Amino acid sequence: MTAAVSISGLVKSFGRFRALDGLDLEVREGEVHGFLGPNGAGKSTTLRILLGLLRADSGAVEVLGADPWRDVVALHRRIAYVPGDVSIWPTLTGGEAIDLLGRLRGGLDEKRRKDLLEALDLDPSKRGHTYSKGNRQKVAIVAALSSNAELLILDEPTAGLDPLMEATFREEIHRERTLGRTVLLSSHILAEVEALADRISIIRKGKVVETNSLEEMRRLTRTNVSATLSDGAGVLTALPGVTDLRVEGNRVHFSVDAETLGDAMSVLVRHGMSALAVTPPSLEDLFLQHYGDQHDPVADDADRLNTSFFGRGGRRRAQ
Amino acid sequence: MNSAFTGTLPLLRHAIRLDHWKLLPWFLVFGILPVLVYSLYGSLFPSPIDALALQSSLSTNPAFSLLLGPATDLSTAIGFTTWRLQMFGMFFAALMAVLTVTRHTRAAEDSGQAELLDSGVVGRHARLASAVLLAWLASAAVGLLVGATLTLAGAPSASAYSLGGVLGSTGVAFAGVSAVTAQLGSAARVANTLADTVLGISYLVRGLGDTLNDANWLLWASPMGWAEHVRPATDNDPRPMMLLVGVGVLLVGLAAWLSSRRDFGLGLIPTMPGPARGRAGIWGLTSRLNRLPFWSWGVNLLVLGTVFGLVSGTLSSAFAGNPFVRQLIAFRVTTEEQLVYGFVEVLVLILGIIGAVLGIQLALRFYVEEEERRSEWVLSAPLSRLRHVIPTAVLSIVAPGVGMVVCSLALAIASNASGSPLEVGKVVLQGAAELPAIWLAVAVALALIGLAPGLRSLAWLLLVYWLPLTFFGPILKAPEWLMNTSPFHVVPHVFSAGTDWLPAWWTLAIAAVLVVAGLAGYRRRDLVCT
Repeated sequence: MTAAVSISGLVKSFGRFRALDGLDLEVREGEVHGFLGPNGAGKSTTLRILLGLLRADSGAVEVLGADPWRDVVALHRRIAYVPGDVSIWPTLTGGEAIDLLGRLRGGLDEKRRKDLLEALDLDPSKRGHTYSKGNRQKVAIVAALSSNAELLILDEPTAGLDPLMEATFREEIHRERTLGRTVLLSSHILAEVEALADRISIIRKGKVVETNSLEEMRRLTRTNVSATLSDGAGVLTALPGVTDLRVEGNRVHFSVDAETLGDAMSVLVRHGMSALAVTPPSLEDLFLQHYGDQHDPVADDADRLNTSFFGRGGRRRAQ
Repeated sequence: MNSAFTGTLPLLRHAIRLDHWKLLPWFLVFGILPVLVYSLYGSLFPSPIDALALQSSLSTNPAFSLLLGPATDLSTAIGFTTWRLQMFGMFFAALMAVLTVTRHTRAAEDSGQAELLDSGVVGRHARLASAVLLAWLASAAVGLLVGATLTLAGAPSASAYSLGGVLGSTGVAFAGVSAVTAQLGSAARVANTLADTVLGISYLVRGLGDTLNDANWLLWASPMGWAEHVRPATDNDPRPMMLLVGVGVLLVGLAAWLSSRRDFGLGLIPTMPGPARGRAGIWGLTSRLNRLPFWSWGVNLLVLGTVFGLVSGTLSSAFAGNPFVRQLIAFRVTTEEQLVYGFVEVLVLILGIIGAVLGIQLALRFYVEEEERRSEWVLSAPLSRLRHVIPTAVLSIVAPGVGMVVCSLALAIASNASGSPLEVGKVVLQGAAELPAIWLAVAVALALIGLAPGLRSLAWLLLVYWLPLTFFGPILKAPEWLMNTSPFHVVPHVFSAGTDWLPAWWTLAIAAVLVVAGLAGYRRRDLVCT
């Protein structure tokens, strides 16, 4: 498989703030690639460099085999983009905005436009300033998906959508994928990426800390197990790969490495297991592994997300 | 009732924090200019006879009464200062108040900041109240500043504070106007345009009241005409100020009442749904976005050109009635034709400055697209940076050109129609002669957009520097090298023999370099993503 996007050693600074610090990313042709990270980790900056809106300080960036800064026009015929925070001209209607983008790229798929407006339940005759955030997002989604572009770059596209519309959006992305399109989907909504992405890259402080398929990530991560036993839960501590063991009367909770999952199961069976719940690691678990602390992962992570968000915002404003 | 205003003071503090840099330039101008004019009076008019001569030549000159109001008493420095500054001062104090109120009401709603503020512990009228209070405080500050600086410079304090009060109370009244228009229009630009239209009409109506015969009653149809009745330096009558403040308060009350009758983010002028399909490309988009300033400034220029033309049409009868001018002509110091063309030149210069305002506004409008992240979206389509910016560059260069031709043509035709024959071709040529200077102003704006968008307001600052320099420089006897830093000063004089076009070509060349630099800069720089 060839790469639709390949980035290596990408650096981008805004004044003294290093937004991207040696970022590597590869998006394969035909895949939906989840680009996951908290606000301020550098997701939008990366996407803007891929679109030639920002110029890279150093590093190699290739999009569909071309240089995104130099080959803007030729490249953009093959790319469609949904910005993170869509703003529509106050006096233009949503339909006019969609057609403007379509006209700039030399036409759009009329049938797809009509179907999408219907599916997303969007009134194209309203003026820009009367749309809610979700509806502005829909305008950009319709414009992007009716363009028949090879590569879709979506920056938190469902940020303002309600759950129903989110489901519709997922269907549409599945459909794009079956048509052979490549999708780079930035998000901090884990469930969305979990549902859509073939492969995932986790970004932290301007660097990609892990890229893998969800299955592969899961294989490398511990599975959570809860079981009811008739006796001797203590024996589990002797097993390699078992951590976070908690015993509440007859019930045990622990997590276990994929390699020793089998051994743990046989121990459970030998000790009179009467109930069992095995949960594969959620994306949240994977995420927290990279962002969290061992003792209180959730609280600590929330804290980090906040500080990184405000830290970034502050620096941005200072410029 | 009180709970409707909860949070007004914290909001006011917040607004002051946001605005103190924006208000500072206004204060600087209002703090310096009056004292400057006041202290130069002595050197301008060594003897009272000189002042009286000027007064007699001005009192019957319609062009000056139209622009600056009547020269009631030029025998004192404060009277001269009042005549020179009160109309422009009122206009700019009102403009400051309008912009301030809109910025904290309608513009804040447009940007979403207001939503954040309103969700706090904030009463229904608190945001409007804080915006109006800020504008009132700023107006009061302007009034006190003018009064205090002039008193310190030696003017009689009653007259000094009367002049300050004229400016301040006009600001208070127009803060009220702006509070109302912020409820009517559903976008900041619409609200500002509506308020500025009221301001422009007020200026014009009082100008006609001062100029036309038996039209004094017209002064009562304009807030600026009321303010004129204060007559600082002669009458010092405070009653019109109270009238202005009262009207300001009433208008704010009306605005509060209107605001409870509209939805958040929308204006009382309803928004109609529009076409579901569009055919605009980047050119179409650019002209769509700039339609409002283009037409509103276009109509302004047309109306002003016509009014100026009517005024110059009455010049020859004015000259005939003026013994001083008759004497000048009799001694062949000048001819009537020269006098008329001299005035027309000043009028066309004023139109030229307005043309520059239009051009700068159109050019800087481009950056708003970037700031509001729409450029990011548009540029994700197959559109090069150059093709993105060129429509704006072309529009901001062509629009003032069209405007100047239209308004100078209107001036010439109106003047001819009202009985003062002007050579139409020459007047239009004088209008066109302003274009290099206008384009230089536009080119500065385009260069800043392309190279250093953070500094884009320098384009306005430069025009603000050129404006008083060009108009007041000669009368304040500024040195020639300083005068030559204003392109409006070196505009060719079409009406005099042997017109020197060289400075215009130089201005044009500098403008061209700046435009190219701006376009190249935009091609190379990062898009500003906020």
